[in-house]
Amino acid sequence: MWTLARKLLLHDRLRFAAAIAGVSVSVTLVLVQVGLYFGFMDTASSIIDASSADLWVGKAGNESFEFASPFDERAYYKVASVPGVARAERVVMNFAQLKLGNGGDLGVQVVGVEEVPGVSPLLAPWHVIAGNADRLREAGAIVVDRSEYPKIKIDHVGYTTEIAGVRAEVVAMTQGIRSFTTSPIVFTDLRSARSYMPGLGSDAVTYVLVKVAPGVSPLDVKARINAIPHLAAYTTAEMSKRTRMYWSSRTGVGAGFFTTAVLGVIVGFVVVGQILYSSTIQYLREFGTLKAMGARNSAVVQVIVAQALISAVLGFVVGGGIAALMRPAMVKVNLTVALFPALYAATLAVTIAMCSFAALLSIVKVLRLDPASVFKG
Amino acid sequence: MNALAKLVTTSKTYGTGEHAVPALVDATLDILPGEVTLIEGPSGSGKTTLISILGLLLRPTTGEVWVEGRDVAHLTERELPGLRARNFGFVFQGFNLFPALTALENVAIAIEMKDPRAKDPRRQARELLELVDLGPRAHHLPADLSGGQKQRVAIARALGGNPPILVGDEPTAALDTKTALSVMELLRELASSHGRAVVVVTHDPRLERFADRVVRVEDGRIQSIGEGARA
Repeated sequence: MWTLARKLLLHDRLRFAAAIAGVSVSVTLVLVQVGLYFGFMDTASSIIDASSADLWVGKAGNESFEFASPFDERAYYKVASVPGVARAERVVMNFAQLKLGNGGDLGVQVVGVEEVPGVSPLLAPWHVIAGNADRLREAGAIVVDRSEYPKIKIDHVGYTTEIAGVRAEVVAMTQGIRSFTTSPIVFTDLRSARSYMPGLGSDAVTYVLVKVAPGVSPLDVKARINAIPHLAAYTTAEMSKRTRMYWSSRTGVGAGFFTTAVLGVIVGFVVVGQILYSSTIQYLREFGTLKAMGARNSAVVQVIVAQALISAVLGFVVGGGIAALMRPAMVKVNLTVALFPALYAATLAVTIAMCSFAALLSIVKVLRLDPASVFKG
Repeated sequence: MNALAKLVTTSKTYGTGEHAVPALVDATLDILPGEVTLIEGPSGSGKTTLISILGLLLRPTTGEVWVEGRDVAHLTERELPGLRARNFGFVFQGFNLFPALTALENVAIAIEMKDPRAKDPRRQARELLELVDLGPRAHHLPADLSGGQKQRVAIARALGGNPPILVGDEPTAALDTKTALSVMELLRELASSHGRAVVVVTHDPRLERFADRVVRVEDGRIQSIGEGARA
């Protein structure tokens, strides 16, 4: 069956190339679109996912991670004193204006983390590729991602600028930390962050990160914290999911990417279906001859399904390769295409299903093929 | 001699009521091993209907079709492919070979499709191609073969699974005279030496020299069953 299927496909190389091209375009669209979606989602929750906290505590009623309302420091102390909390660290986060070298301003997302000497913080800049992130506790020290350098119009560690009129010196550079809001993320320490965002108040806290004591259930501690009025605690995984869902649903980004991916599947379906059908029509007399001589419907159907599977697998390999090649090119324009084994596996399954469904018309055609028709000239 | 297949007062009518068109009326015919039977008649006379019913490709409206010693006229669609695979090989005017497959592959795939459990279909296919003197052309595509060679490949394919009855629908119509006669000689040889029954629909009276019997069909009726030149 496989030999016949392969040879029937390869006999008309142009048609075969068109089939593979159709599947490849479909696979590439699905992988890139879904990969971009997951890339955006990874970006949206990257700060949360990079933390080593067990719990994130914010003001009750906050929907957006980035646009969260702050609360005052008394709440921090309440959280820190909850039984089972081993460590609690403050994070203050909001937007501020960074002075550009050309005299203009740019909105940046300031993330102030608590830097305590000798203690590895629950949240700190990661993927540091230049400079010294330990200097973050120095007043006015900031860490910026390399991908944001052109936007901020800086070109080296040590560059000095101002945020909200307060001195800011780039002490380290990271790679791959980007914000979903497109405003560059600027890491700094808690005190500096408060000075960059005086409107929040001198004791503002946006989140309290909690590390629970060994042997204590984070869910138990979460429940205790949630009993404190006006606060809401989430596990890190919950917080990450909430943030992803917020951006996915509020911006329509999920629907947009998945609509394009579905269109890709439809394109592949139509192309493969049309090509398999035309191939089946071309060989209808030969299939009829085999049926006349006693070949069962299942045997003939296997040939068509095999053709669909060959098209699916080859198209997947080509399309998957193209998507993988596009990935580094898209990184250069600050787009992350998250391609991972599970996505490849799911796309392969979708591709096989798509090609199998596309073969249905051909299958119906040969099932209805009257073997006596071969006698009818 | 026991018939390999037979029609007993078999009729086929297309349509119903005032639109009914009788295509075959009360046909009775025995198909005997070792014999070449020619079916002759003008276009539209019912020849194709006759061999379609005989080859279990078409169900009769009334009458009996005997194969393997039983009336199979009203077997279900699921039972017929196996019966056809065991008993019939078909040869067509247009060869109906897969152009993408070599001669060997065309024969082998038919063997495999007739019986998915067939042992070494390629070896069987090679032997059948040698039987029809096409061993050296086994790895050629149909496009690289002459009309006569293509028809020999089709005959080898029809012989896959060793069916006792070969049914040919104008198998020589697309061939020149010399090639047509050599193909008929081959079919004659398959009947004489291998005990097969060969049933050939034809318009060509020159083929009568190879026939044991000539069945004349007109207006859906068997008008005569005469002896061929070989008888």
